[in-house]
Amino acid sequence: MTIQAREPGGQSHASGPESEVLLAEGLQKSYGGRPALRGLSFTLNAGRVMGFLGPNGAGKTTAIRILTTILEADSGHFAVDGISSRYPEEIRRRIGVLPESQGFPKDATGIEYLSYFGQHFGLSATEARRYGLALLEDVGLEQRAKSPIGSYSRGMRQRLGIARSLVNDPVVAFLDEPTLGLDPRGQQELLALVQRIARERNVGVILCSHLLSEIEGVCDDVVILNSGQVVAKGPLSEVAGQAQRNGIRLHVPPSSVAQAHQALETLTSVTRVTPAGQDAGWLQVEFVDGTTSPEREHASNAVLAALIDAKIPVLTFEAEGGRLRDVFLHLTDEAIQ
Amino acid sequence: MSGERQQPSDRPDGRRTAPPGWWLVFRRELVELWLGGRALTLLSLFSILLGISGFLIATNAELELIPPKEVASLMLQPSISFGLFIGLIIGADSISGERERATLEALLLTPTSRRQIMIGKFLAAVSPWPAALAISFPFVAVLSQWNEVLGQALLWGTLLGTVLALAFTGVGMLVSFWCTSNRTSLFVSLILYFVFFLPTQFPGEAQKGFVGQLIKRVNPMESTKHFFDKILVNNRTVEEMWTWLLAPLLFAVLVLGLLFLYAGPGLRFEAGRARGIRLNWRRVAGALGAVGLLVALAASLIAARPVVASPDAELPLKIEVDTDFKEVKTGDEFEFDTSVTYEGAEESPPLVMAMNIIDLKGAVVDPEDWSPQRTQVVEPLAPGESAEHTWTIEAILEGDYMVYIVAVPKPDGRTATSQPITTSGIHLTVKQFINYNPGGVLPVAVGIPASLTLGTVLLYGIRRRRMEEGSSL
Repeated sequence: MTIQAREPGGQSHASGPESEVLLAEGLQKSYGGRPALRGLSFTLNAGRVMGFLGPNGAGKTTAIRILTTILEADSGHFAVDGISSRYPEEIRRRIGVLPESQGFPKDATGIEYLSYFGQHFGLSATEARRYGLALLEDVGLEQRAKSPIGSYSRGMRQRLGIARSLVNDPVVAFLDEPTLGLDPRGQQELLALVQRIARERNVGVILCSHLLSEIEGVCDDVVILNSGQVVAKGPLSEVAGQAQRNGIRLHVPPSSVAQAHQALETLTSVTRVTPAGQDAGWLQVEFVDGTTSPEREHASNAVLAALIDAKIPVLTFEAEGGRLRDVFLHLTDEAIQ
Repeated sequence: MSGERQQPSDRPDGRRTAPPGWWLVFRRELVELWLGGRALTLLSLFSILLGISGFLIATNAELELIPPKEVASLMLQPSISFGLFIGLIIGADSISGERERATLEALLLTPTSRRQIMIGKFLAAVSPWPAALAISFPFVAVLSQWNEVLGQALLWGTLLGTVLALAFTGVGMLVSFWCTSNRTSLFVSLILYFVFFLPTQFPGEAQKGFVGQLIKRVNPMESTKHFFDKILVNNRTVEEMWTWLLAPLLFAVLVLGLLFLYAGPGLRFEAGRARGIRLNWRRVAGALGAVGLLVALAASLIAARPVVASPDAELPLKIEVDTDFKEVKTGDEFEFDTSVTYEGAEESPPLVMAMNIIDLKGAVVDPEDWSPQRTQVVEPLAPGESAEHTWTIEAILEGDYMVYIVAVPKPDGRTATSQPITTSGIHLTVKQFINYNPGGVLPVAVGIPASLTLGTVLLYGIRRRRMEEGSSL
């Protein structure tokens, strides 16, 4: 992978759907001889949300700071919208960032805050105010536009931070732990907002988080970092599939376990049905050895159909090992939240 | 609306219409500084300090005898010193404070250049200086009793004060640039301030000699003070004294050069420059503190040099006073008489009589301040003849004194000498007379701080109400 960076002022690459908006190649960074990032390379396309995942100290924040020009990499290059990292001011015109710990001026109102940053990105005071109001409406803060930020809740501040990251109509948005400290409802609303921004504005979003459920629910692609190294990357389904095993787990009412055994043992694709774990009602269904991925999907459908035909209620049904959590634990060998 | 990436319809593309980045930062910082109440709080404290200084200068009983131009100089110095401190403190908070409040990163993520950010912050940090200057003008004017020197005092105060204010604000920002913690930044700035300020308070003896003169020359605060004293009080010309302006001017150029040419372009999220000198501020603070202590110690040793006493002398004439003790209040006048009796066989030589006042706590007293008539001449006396004289004293300072008259026979020629004789002492006790509005300073000394404090309190009240109204939405 080689960066074909352009000079600032040239034709934007990010004009089409799914076009490449961020390209990183071999980014390395050390702090006093201790490596924090070892050869980070990946590509992000417009309109997609990429999850940056890793245990604490994996190098996520360092990577974000390098990609947002706050830190300089020791080696490696990156390009945003085709602009080389040699032009940090031009890169900053094209990115939006919500840092992990974002402070706000307490006395400024939401609209004053957005207008201020809008002007930094080249808008006149009137234009910046008008666009700021539109952004506040986008993030659901239009009612609080004229309230001092000191009176905002944490969730409101995060939404304001996201609005700020959009004042320059960025090609790529970096959101570092955007749901930190929010209640479950606030988390859900914010993630929906992130997804909407990516889709509606065709922005490439890097979502940095240590919450796997967040990444699974929102992201299209994922990069898993461990000790500064990329241990997995690609579309979420592919990465999650890396840990998929040849079988499924299902949960039926304990009173129906024997009936489920009978129904499933008649299927030719199933070799064995055994109890899974200590809890009653959980069954592990193993498929014939050598079953390919498409065949596995058919076999899963057949298992589900057999149970439904036998009028057995299915409480849970999941591909064994096919979750991001399994991949993550397998690759990083770390326990996370 | 998936698909082709497009400019949202309501976002204009107005890069040419936007104001410059430094102006945006300056305006934002200005609003935070002034409407946030920080500038007003510091200025209120400043005015309270000036009020106290002004009142102390005015209530000092010597006021009547100190020329107005000297009072103007006396009042100008704390005005500038305290004013610089405001700039230094605001500068010290300007970068490390934003790092701590996590607001710097968002600013660094804009395309505005680092130098422009630095310029905007610097201008905002300097902004309280003109206000401080305006606050100090009435104090200088009232205390100098609107003397003709006032115009010159205000002109030089404005010019040199501004040079120093720019430099010291820059010093605060440089320290802030290198510090991650705001507390460290404020502490180091405070130490630096005292390193510059303390030598200006050294006794006169400590400012003599090569080292003393060198410190006076290189310390911008001290050389500025010296310049003021000579120009305003001692009627010296700028042509004579211009070399004393070098220290503040060079200091300002050095600091601002470092700030905008070296530190400015390297402003970043972490403390200091990405590549360059990394200072251990704890060690720097320790070293500066040690240097300050050494300088203070040296100054006190110089000041405490022993003075060799004169031997006692015999008395050839008889001289008496009519009073043994007296109790008065500051500002009171009293008179006493002396009687000189010549007991020789022939006519006496002419005598010169002089009044002396000694502070019994050992402080220096200048008798010229206490009496318009310090000496009187006695014509030659016949044997057995006496001469009476009346003396007037105006009690200037509160304290415990001994007043005596010494008579010196005029010597016969250039190579001859004579033996002075003295009266017994008059034990003079001067008690403080309290004038609650000396020199009419009280309305200024109380009114300005009170108005500013009231304004600050009102501002905080308005801010709190805005927050409460915002939260209730």
